[in-house]
Amino acid sequence: MINWGAPIWIYLWLAGMAGGAYFVAFLDDLFTRGGSRQLVRWATVLGIPLAVIGVILLVIDLGHPIRFWHLLVAFRVLSPMSLGSWILLVWVGIAVIMTILWWSEQPLALMASEGTVRSARRATRFLSWFELIFSVLVMAYTGVLLATSNLPLWAGTVLLPSLFVASAASTGVALLIITSVTANTIDKGELKLAIGLVKMRFGLTKLKSAINLLFNPTEWTIPRQTVARLAEVDVGVILVEIAALIGYAIWLGNSAMAGAGEALKVVTTGALAAPFWVGVVLLAMLIPLVLDVTSRAKDIETRAFQRAIVTSSVCVILGGLILRAVIVIGGQM
Amino acid sequence: MAKAMLVDVSKCIGCRSCQVACKQWHDLPAVSTKQEGTYENPPELSASTWTKIEFKEFGEDGTFRWLFRKHQCMHCTEASCVEVCPTGAVAHHDEFVEINQEWCIGCGYCVTACPFGAVHREPPKGTARKCVFCIDRVTNGLEPACAKACPTGAIQFGERADLVEAAHRRVQTLIAEGYSNAVLYGENELGGLGYLYVLTDRPSVFNLPENPEVATSMVSAQWFSGIGTAVLLAAVSFWLFFKRKKRIEAIQQSKTEGGAEE
Ligand code: SF4
Ligand code: SF4
Repeated sequence: MINWGAPIWIYLWLAGMAGGAYFVAFLDDLFTRGGSRQLVRWATVLGIPLAVIGVILLVIDLGHPIRFWHLLVAFRVLSPMSLGSWILLVWVGIAVIMTILWWSEQPLALMASEGTVRSARRATRFLSWFELIFSVLVMAYTGVLLATSNLPLWAGTVLLPSLFVASAASTGVALLIITSVTANTIDKGELKLAIGLVKMRFGLTKLKSAINLLFNPTEWTIPRQTVARLAEVDVGVILVEIAALIGYAIWLGNSAMAGAGEALKVVTTGALAAPFWVGVVLLAMLIPLVLDVTSRAKDIETRAFQRAIVTSSVCVILGGLILRAVIVIGGQM
Repeated sequence: MAKAMLVDVSKCIGCRSCQVACKQWHDLPAVSTKQEGTYENPPELSASTWTKIEFKEFGEDGTFRWLFRKHQCMHCTEASCVEVCPTGAVAHHDEFVEINQEWCIGCGYCVTACPFGAVHREPPKGTARKCVFCIDRVTNGLEPACAKACPTGAIQFGERADLVEAAHRRVQTLIAEGYSNAVLYGENELGGLGYLYVLTDRPSVFNLPENPEVATSMVSAQWFSGIGTAVLLAAVSFWLFFKRKKRIEAIQQSKTEGGAEE
């Protein structure tokens, strides 16, 4: 009977994607000197449900779900699961506070003094740096969790966390690209119609102004240039991921740990060869790489460009899930 | 004074009395299995099978040879399960490693961490379960059920120091009898195991790791690897960003120059 099944690999994928999206968005905003604050907002807000769904899966997978709180009355620094629970908790906590601070910006601006508004902004800025550190820890933890074991596929090298971090960042970029394109291409007319329908159905007259207040266009619409930049970053991230995968495989093949060679074979030529070569190597790495590189020649305003990078992003996200599945299942075979 | 068990594989006849005694004493349910062409049964340890005899079968030029080894939790001094457990449910009680069944959340982390595949998490209980060294018997002056049941004296319970000495003597005898690879396993592995083995061949022949490592031995390196990669990714995207900026600037410049010529 397999010890860790689907809930675990889905969880590792979701947590990695959430951490990766924030990590990339924050760096992009940093390098453009505040040019991507909208992206950081989306990453933060989307990260909350991803992490929460992941945690729910993890709790469901426990033999005694009701006892999950035992995790939160212990702090065991050598146990990546204990440490990871705290990391995730802090990560989600900061994300929630940041979101609330953003959403209260407009009401604050109307009601409170300028000083209050400024200190709210400063608080968010400060928190966003903490969140960066924790997003790195979240990404790393998804790999360290598996690597701190005695199963050769997970623990035979120290490069599994490296591979998972690169994959997390890559799925994070992909999530951001899809979000950006979707958020930008939603037809304003359609949106109005949808809101109108919801209003009719539920009699919510305040809905439109509420949505405007929460997602006002200047703070939440992502510029086209950002999307193109993300597609380029994706290339770099995938190259690092490929390097991590190659390093991981070579190291595992030569690992001193008993059973490491056999574990590698399960993935490369054995039972999991098909999902590995098609799902991980092609879908998560090579296809997106080609799509991203070739899309560079296209005009970023065109549909063709958007179609290429969205396809690439969907591949990355699916491939990231298959990578987690292959490693989690393969390690226990 | 530390207690321990000594398993002498050269005395084991594969009768599996220990398996049955363990199930009986701990009220563990039977598991239904299929005939797989071997007398080894059940095929693996589980949450309801805490000890079993592993059979190794060798056929060489018409002769047939069997190796038997009792398999169960080793009660390691440097115990991976204790290290990784996020709730502290697994802990040492004297030299015995015990899982608090009321506190274990059934996360299964210890299952992946144990170097001997000795702990399992399965329905219906959902908690992690393994050999408990018959702590109820031992603290009441009895020997563990498996040792009591063993008809050949292949499983001995006693003072660790005495058993180590006896085991060394037995290994010497075996070597003298022609088992040139005979060794004592468990004296120093993982800080000393609660189960000592007199083996007639190298540990790997008996499915024992030659150099078992505690699961957390590389944990700092693993964190470093993950965090280091994040730093590398930040550096790469920083570099890409500046390359891109330069390119865009160049394009703009050539545009303005083109404009000046007109
Ligand atoms: S053999 Fe496994 S379960 Fe038993 S103490 Fe050692 S690590 Fe823990
Ligand atoms: S399954 Fe129980 S004993 Fe094992 S690591 Fe999880 S909480 Fe600890």
